[in-house]
Amino acid sequence: MALVNPNFAAELEAFGVDTALECFNCGTCAAICPLLYEHFPRKLIRYVQVGAEKKIMENAQDLWRCLHCGLCTRTCPRQANPGELILGLRRYVVARWRRP
Amino acid sequence: MAKKKKKTEPAPEAKVGVYVCHCGGNISDAVEVDQVCQHARRVPGVVVARDNMFLCSDPCQEMIIEDLKSGLVDRVVVASCSPSLHEATFRRALARAGANPYVYEHANLREQVSWVHHGAAATEKASRLVAAAAAKARLLRPLESIRVEVQRQAVVIGGGVAGLKAALELGERGLAVVLVEKSPFLGGQVAQLQRLAPFGETAAEVISELTGAVLKHPAITVHTCAEVEDFAGYIGNFKIKVVRQSPAGAVYADRLARLSRSGRGLGEYVPFVGVMPAAIPEGREEFDLEAGAIVLATGFRPYQPRAGEYGYRDFPEVVTLPELIRQLAAAEGAGDTLVLNGRLIRQAALIHCVGSRQIPGVHAENEGGYLNEYCSRTCCSATLYAANQIREQYPKTRIFDFYRDIRTYGRGQEELYTEAARNGTLFFRFEAGEEPQVSRNPHRTSNPLLVKVRDVLTFGEELEVPVDLVVLAVGQEPNDIAHLVENLKIPVGADRFLQEVHPKLRPVEVSVAGILLAGTCQAPFDVGETCAAAGAAAVKAAAILTRGYVELDPFVAEVDLSRCVGTGACVEACLAEGALALVNLEVEGQMVRRAQVNPALCLGCGACVAVCPENAINVQGWTLKQYEAMVDMIVSDEYLEERAEG
Repeated sequence: MALVNPNFAAELEAFGVDTALECFNCGTCAAICPLLYEHFPRKLIRYVQVGAEKKIMENAQDLWRCLHCGLCTRTCPRQANPGELILGLRRYVVARWRRP
Repeated sequence: MAKKKKKTEPAPEAKVGVYVCHCGGNISDAVEVDQVCQHARRVPGVVVARDNMFLCSDPCQEMIIEDLKSGLVDRVVVASCSPSLHEATFRRALARAGANPYVYEHANLREQVSWVHHGAAATEKASRLVAAAAAKARLLRPLESIRVEVQRQAVVIGGGVAGLKAALELGERGLAVVLVEKSPFLGGQVAQLQRLAPFGETAAEVISELTGAVLKHPAITVHTCAEVEDFAGYIGNFKIKVVRQSPAGAVYADRLARLSRSGRGLGEYVPFVGVMPAAIPEGREEFDLEAGAIVLATGFRPYQPRAGEYGYRDFPEVVTLPELIRQLAAAEGAGDTLVLNGRLIRQAALIHCVGSRQIPGVHAENEGGYLNEYCSRTCCSATLYAANQIREQYPKTRIFDFYRDIRTYGRGQEELYTEAARNGTLFFRFEAGEEPQVSRNPHRTSNPLLVKVRDVLTFGEELEVPVDLVVLAVGQEPNDIAHLVENLKIPVGADRFLQEVHPKLRPVEVSVAGILLAGTCQAPFDVGETCAAAGAAAVKAAAILTRGYVELDPFVAEVDLSRCVGTGACVEACLAEGALALVNLEVEGQMVRRAQVNPALCLGCGACVAVCPENAINVQGWTLKQYEAMVDMIVSDEYLEERAEG
């Protein structure tokens, strides 16, 4: 159970992530991703949309699996820039790491 | 060859052509069509039996016409789909060939055979039906259709967009129109809206334009507060009894109060009221209308959620979309956050498919014990339109959109979805049976309500959304017109909307000739679709009125004066008042009482045939002799080469 926090997307802007709400959950990024890992990277983008901070922290290690191939960003039909979103989320996670 | 029967005397020239249709596999997948043709060739009187993939196609109709013109056949049996679909098609083909359209018989090999039977039994039943039809065809006589004068006036029932548009189109063709509206207002459900999705025209301009033109049109008479009480007659000559009186109860109290608050007068448009063209009558007034055609425009009503459905009535913060539209129009303040009834709306949830697409076994039945299994079609766009309106005007009000599916199906509608996605509307998707739960918010946020959903877009995880407002996108339900349906004897579909003859080929006609459908009495439509349907209904009605006469099928009772002795049994049994009477006639120099038929009123039911002790009355085209010939063929095995195995 997660409480939706619509302000979270705005909080992330400080970390260079401002395109999450462009995503309309088509899943093209997850389909094209060479990692073929669950719903990566869409899953993390959706967590940003609904503001599920805890979920992002729980799944943080996934962010470091990314190979930076750029396929998701190239194929995204909404210019939501999934690749850049992953990088931004890393900065967010690093900043939050072990902070009470 | 089977030996010729002696007891019936078919016209010596009777040459029956049998045409068996595959219906593109619909029939031929279950029925051995060539075998049916072989069997048919052995039926007395049959001179040719052919089969084809689609008999209703132009080339096949031409083939039948050729056979008639060349003199090869003079009776036609088509064995295909239901006669309700294509009997008229083939009768017209006979007429085009210069033949009498009533020397035609139809055998239903689709609904009555291939869709319900399989294997050898299917083919055998098909052969028996075809043989029976051929035996009947052999005894058919040419008949003349009955001509009836037409009353050059149309009656339109319902004064919403559909009724107004239909009345106007008829009036513009120079035809007299009477519009009958139950409420004191014109404008119907559209007058309960503000801006219309997807393009944003105002309801005010749409209704004002229509009512303005209708009310000043010399050919159109409008009666508000008027209801159809009784109905009689047939195409060309309908008689409608109308009662005009002050509406009972306080159904319209809210709208009347709005009207008096607005300070506007008769004939003027008032938002969320419509146009009141005339004062409410004080007494009760009854009058009869005559009509050559009737347009039904009885419209829809928005689905009313049950108490407790998504928290409706339990929480004042849960409203339907029409209620939201009314509140939005009165929203105070020009800040960047929406304020409704003095409450700040920071977060609002919109829930789709309320009262639509209900599934048996999954969703609870509505009050009347029914489910609305259909998609109401207009709510997705209307909901997204409202979402965009709020996001644009009040950017600090966040919108959460909970959908099962988004069906923005028409021109300019998908753009509403794209726009909503762009303006930050956050979407959640739920599965049927896992509708969002609305409850009081137990968390410490200041929002009064909490919407809980298992969100498909978040991989089936449970999400909770605190909100200040829940909007239910309610669907369309047909208005309660049971009295009218009963009176007019028109068919109603499983969805309780009025049912057309054919959804594609005859979309605005019902099975009662001369009655036409306009708008949402037929199915959920938006305003554009409603106007298209109303225009079509008006043109169909105009075609009936301007022709001046109608031709009715001659399948009516006929008295055989050589047998009638005037027992009067038929008159007693007759179900249609005025269709049968005993009259004084001179027969062989003597005045006698004999039965006489009024063909325009006869229903062709055959009740008289059953009771006549002298066998002196028959329904043309369905005589007892023809029935006997059919039964003989159904029980005969002579034409079946060998009993089908299995």
